[in-house]
Amino acid sequence: MDDEPLVRDYLGRLESAAWPLAAARRTELVGEVREHIDAALTEAGRADEVTVRNVLERLGPPEEIVAAESEGEAPPQSRTSSSWGAIEIIAVLLLTVGAVFIPFVGPFVGLVFVWASTRWTLPEKLIASAIVIGLLLLPILAILGVGPPQPGCACG
Amino acid sequence: MDVAIVAFLIPLAGIAAAIFLVIALVRRRR
Repeated sequence: MDDEPLVRDYLGRLESAAWPLAAARRTELVGEVREHIDAALTEAGRADEVTVRNVLERLGPPEEIVAAESEGEAPPQSRTSSSWGAIEIIAVLLLTVGAVFIPFVGPFVGLVFVWASTRWTLPEKLIASAIVIGLLLLPILAILGVGPPQPGCACG
Repeated sequence: MDVAIVAFLIPLAGIAAAIFLVIALVRRRR
């Protein structure tokens, strides 16, 4: 019943109205409403234009569905601004500028801030740590003199 | 290892990790 133009138009309006919601929640909401419409049409036993219009009218305007959905969530502005906190900014600054001006120490202190943050997931923290430790290990080993012997070296 | 490579790798480590973390946060916001 997805090919019903009225239903597609309604779901399109719902998706447009749901832009403030998180992408995952938006997809979920459209799916839920689609299932609801399908169930109502199956229950009605027909999918003619009048029945579809009745079902959609009973659901109400897409904007109202989104408004009701948004009431249970944080406002979108606060969610957007909450992606970056002081800890995340300090971590990124230490990893970039800190790596240039405070070699070795800067990135490692930056990693401490990364692990202190609650906005990055555990896999993201692990990957970032692996990148820093992996790439810093090479110069540390070079400075410590571990590596292939230089050609013409009389050592040993 | 050449000094120039060492000097390049030190900031690269932090910058690569920072780029990864920034992309992770930006992607989640969408």
